[in-house]
Amino acid sequence: MNDEILFAREDEMEALNTVDDTVDSQKYLIFMAGHLKLGVVAEDVVEILNNQLITYLPMLPDFIRGIINMRGQMIPILDIRARLGMEPKEDDSLVVVINLGDVQLGILVDAVDQMLDIPKVNLLPMPANSTQLLVSGMCSLPDGSGTMMVLDCEQLMPNE
Amino acid sequence: MGSGNEILDMYIYETGTLLEQLETIVLEAEKVDTFSQENVNEIFRIMHTIKGSSAMMEFDSLATVAHRIEDMFFIIREGTMSVVSEENRPALFDVVFQSIDFFRGEVEKVEADEPLSKDIDTFLSNINTLISKIKGEDVPEEAPAPVPAAPAASAPAVPAPAGAAGFPYALRVNFEEGCGMESLRAFMVVTAVRDVCGESDFTFEPADVETDSSTSESIIDNGFHLMFKTAGDRDSAISVIKTVGSVQGYQSYDCPPPAEKPASPAPAASAAPAAQSAPVSPAPAASAAPAAQQQQQQHPKETLISVNLSKLDQLSAVVGEIVITESMVTSSPDLKGLVLDAFSKSARQLRKLTDELQDVSMSLRMVPVSSVFQKMTRIVRDMTKKLNRPAKLTLIGENTEVDKTIVDSIGDPIMHMIRNSMDHGIEESQEERVAAGKDPVGEIILSARDTGSEVIIEIIDDGRGVNDEAVLAKAIRQGIASPDVEYSHKEILNFLLAPGFSTNTEVTEFSGRGVGMDVVKRGVEELGGTVSISSELGRGMTTTIRIPLTMAIMDGMEVAVGDSIFTIPINNILSTMKVAAKDVIHDSSSGEIIKCQGNFYPIVRAKQLYQLQHGCTNIEDGVLIWLEAGDHSYCLFVDELLGQQQVVVKQLPAYVNSYNIKNYGINGCTLRSDGSISIILDVANLYSAARGM
Repeated sequence: MNDEILFAREDEMEALNTVDDTVDSQKYLIFMAGHLKLGVVAEDVVEILNNQLITYLPMLPDFIRGIINMRGQMIPILDIRARLGMEPKEDDSLVVVINLGDVQLGILVDAVDQMLDIPKVNLLPMPANSTQLLVSGMCSLPDGSGTMMVLDCEQLMPNE
Repeated sequence: MGSGNEILDMYIYETGTLLEQLETIVLEAEKVDTFSQENVNEIFRIMHTIKGSSAMMEFDSLATVAHRIEDMFFIIREGTMSVVSEENRPALFDVVFQSIDFFRGEVEKVEADEPLSKDIDTFLSNINTLISKIKGEDVPEEAPAPVPAAPAASAPAVPAPAGAAGFPYALRVNFEEGCGMESLRAFMVVTAVRDVCGESDFTFEPADVETDSSTSESIIDNGFHLMFKTAGDRDSAISVIKTVGSVQGYQSYDCPPPAEKPASPAPAASAAPAAQSAPVSPAPAASAAPAAQQQQQQHPKETLISVNLSKLDQLSAVVGEIVITESMVTSSPDLKGLVLDAFSKSARQLRKLTDELQDVSMSLRMVPVSSVFQKMTRIVRDMTKKLNRPAKLTLIGENTEVDKTIVDSIGDPIMHMIRNSMDHGIEESQEERVAAGKDPVGEIILSARDTGSEVIIEIIDDGRGVNDEAVLAKAIRQGIASPDVEYSHKEILNFLLAPGFSTNTEVTEFSGRGVGMDVVKRGVEELGGTVSISSELGRGMTTTIRIPLTMAIMDGMEVAVGDSIFTIPINNILSTMKVAAKDVIHDSSSGEIIKCQGNFYPIVRAKQLYQLQHGCTNIEDGVLIWLEAGDHSYCLFVDELLGQQQVVVKQLPAYVNSYNIKNYGINGCTLRSDGSISIILDVANLYSAARGM
């Protein structure tokens, strides 16, 4: 299934390259977490991994599943569903590794949906009284498949 | 390497290594206040190499200075150390040290791409003064001096007649006109010929091409001559000479033309009398023949090479991948149920080899701390001179191996502490020390040891120690401490490490500069380490720097608890045991205690402490590991022992460290051979966490 995603991504990349570059836009990788479609800036995505063995680390908050070994690098794994207050995910199959400054973080997701170029003007702020955590903006997807919420990666960092 | 210039990198590396070598020699020699002939030869060789390579890189100032030092040591080599009178020796050592500093400074400039200093005249005249002083001392006792010089001068003359007698088959090699560095090219010819003929089967002239570049002129005029014992040797030599660069042509002849013989020994012979008066340029010619022989004996084949650190990183990453891939292949689900005798055999072999590969690649990054420690010897030496306070530095455990990156960054903090000890620690006068019942010579001990999870570096001096009252008064003046609070001895010592604290009001050349020990603290903390100070007034001060072994290798015991695997440093393990339920003593607060070798120790259950879902609960099903770290000694209860492993310690990602799991004894992790991760435990913190529960 991951292969499909990867190939689809490549196809789309080609398709996207033909799109008018002059529009001020940003590419997002959209993944599923429960019923939510979440987007992260595609440039921050390092890798999509599946079937990783996650090593449990004790004494950490529930939403940190543990660490994985990505080519000798230790990457902490965050269960995005648990972090957003949803039911934790059962299987550990799919991890999106993102790069935040000098920190790499793996996000455990249900599925990777698509990669999309979204014009910045289409990106709307969250309703002022929204209680949704960790989201910095939202946008209706052009194909009508739903609404993407932009994950605020900065907020994923531990707050000290 | 930013420069991207391999030759330059090589030059910088090589010169640095030579200078380090030189410094060690000189420091050793200074202790006994003389250079052995061996040392002199070695220094001569080092200066010669620096001169050559600097000239090649067109760093003329360096080449000039190296040349003068070389000249100086030439005189010493000819006349042995006795030509340098007692009163000139300190000056000699100083000049050599100054030159080391000069070269270091210049090489740093080269590295930083800055212009080199042009003004070397004062330094050169220093050397010249010393040379003439040495020679001045030399004149009155002229009688013994020519004696050592004479055989040296006659040495190059000897092979020439011998060459005519024992080596009748000669070859004249001409180099391309204006190709430059003829002597070096001639030496390349010699090296090439040496590969096909035995060392003793041929001789060459001028004999000192390797060491004396002034032979170039004679080679241009007269050609370079090789003499062989047999015609067969000459034929094989011809075939290799053809391949050497810039060789224009060669002629074979069966006995040296008579005109040649007097012509070429002549410059060498004339050099002999000149050696006394103007040893600058012709002198090396006289010495070169013995030099060439000695160099061959003294040069064991180079066994060390320098490797870019990033390549090592790459290597360990690839090796890690290989190990994982190996286990993926050999335990592939496709192979299930198949009987594959030959395959399993090869697979086992492969496993063995990959394990070996991993071991080797792990050990590559580790370097001993000795290079840093050696530098401190020099600092103490300089400071004893400047401050006129005799002190000695004792090094302990300088072979302790730590990761290269750590070695590079601990130098400054250690240097700062050593300077501090010299400046503020060791008493100003010997009388003061004697009055306090101490050895008049102060002692600073610099030690390193590896505890399995960290490197502990201690700087101990036997000086005055810290005066609590003075420190507190100062801290209050600086506004760090409050006058109304009573501070403990320990808290007062901690003020020393606070930013903006510097006990000495005057800025001295060595430790002052307005920065305090907070710089040391910050430097060490950047490495993930800690600094602590202990002191007793009148007895001295001890600074302890603890640095975790970031990428260091450690021997650990792997244990399983439920689904998790932990690695415990072997150094902390006293023993392991199986116990019966009846041996366990329960205390009133549901704690468990066990008796080991006559003493009682608490039991910590890993499953309970870390709230793991799976794992043994019955004490008889698992294993107790008796651990000791610092003042703590206790037994850890785990499911089973998996075996001893040498592991590479990896830091946990900063992201998880920010949740303070280090306080729970989770210190790092390591990759197991199948690619899974084992958690490295810190025995001391684990116990503190268990007690806090």
